[in-house]
Amino acid sequence: MKVTVNGKVAGSKESGCALCGATWGNYYDVICGERLFFCCDLCAKGFKNIVDRSGIENINSIEIKGNYYSGRRCVVSGEGRASSFFIRFSDDAEVSEFREEQFPRKQGHGQSL
Amino acid sequence: MLLCPACYSEYRTWDQVADHMSGLATMSESAHVMWLNRNLSKEELSKNELGQRLSEMFSNEGSLLEWARNAVIRKIYSGPHPLILAMQKPTREDLLGYVIEHQHFLKNWVRVLSSVIERTDRNDVIKYELENITTEFLGCSGPSHFELLMRMGESLGMRKEEIQSIGPLPSTTKAIGEWREISFKMGWQETMGAMHSLELIADRGISSYGAKMHYFNVKILSSNDYPKEVKRFLGEGYSADTYHSSEALSLVEKYAGSRQSVQVAIIKSLDAVSSYFNARLERAAMLR
Ligand SMILES: [Zn+2]
Ligand SMILES: [Zn+2]
Repeated sequence: MKVTVNGKVAGSKESGCALCGATWGNYYDVICGERLFFCCDLCAKGFKNIVDRSGIENINSIEIKGNYYSGRRCVVSGEGRASSFFIRFSDDAEVSEFREEQFPRKQGHGQSL
Repeated sequence: MLLCPACYSEYRTWDQVADHMSGLATMSESAHVMWLNRNLSKEELSKNELGQRLSEMFSNEGSLLEWARNAVIRKIYSGPHPLILAMQKPTREDLLGYVIEHQHFLKNWVRVLSSVIERTDRNDVIKYELENITTEFLGCSGPSHFELLMRMGESLGMRKEEIQSIGPLPSTTKAIGEWREISFKMGWQETMGAMHSLELIADRGISSYGAKMHYFNVKILSSNDYPKEVKRFLGEGYSADTYHSSEALSLVEKYAGSRQSVQVAIIKSLDAVSSYFNARLERAAMLR
């Protein structure tokens, strides 16, 4: 499973947290059979919400663009299809806003998480 | 005395603060990791670098007002926050989202400022906060800010009773919780700094200090596309907040025991307001 965050490969301590791209922390979680690096448990929880909302079990790739403030546009691909959506998390990584989008739209203004 | 900006633990030197934060970040403690991610750097820093960056961030140079204004610009305007973008051409839903969530913000505003009055023995502070609370909630020579907010909601087609029957979204509740925590855990000076630095966000002069845009598109005030109640509400804030915040922050500066603890509270407050801004966007999306 290939994970990209704001255009950069992520998911290891070197490349950064699979949700936000940060390199702080040492939190690992096995998701869809893969051991991924996260800066903290909240990012892991957010990432699992993205996986769940995609409705795809055998995921090939996840592209995430955005941050905590702007919300995130995600494209999850696998099983010969792709699921695109906008998702925003609350401070405790619950889904506070979600809508499916036909095509991944250009991402707005991002700054750090 | 220096405070950890994430958990308020007390230390004597920046190296000790950095040691503490670094240690907790290594253990992936979320409050510290998130604070570092959102306020300092997403790249892991060595303890030395972290100590250095913290001491620069909480600098003693210039006035507290200047420091707070820079913090607002960095936090809210450098992205800018998506709410600021939405406020450049707000839809009916954006403005109703404002009305619904802001009623809870305003109620909390006066409650927290009352706690400043309860704890201070300074006449100028008591007078200042009483005036502020009166303007926001009761009205002085005209209707209160709260009443103008309700009128804005009604002009957009929602009855006052309906507006007031809607509770806050979780992101607003979370933000309110943060402000209440500041007032419970910190002194009245920190509380005052945390609350009134928020008024800098809508400061008319913010763009002349480096913000890319104003809190809302000022052309709205003379546009025919918005009801007069919308223009009145936005216009009142536009003319009031400059005076509010600069006066308040100079009072805080005059009476603060520790400048750094006020700075910690201001950053906490800007994190909280970012969450509250998200709630307004979420509410607008629900109304669409
Ligand atoms: Zn993360
Ligand atoms: Zn701490």
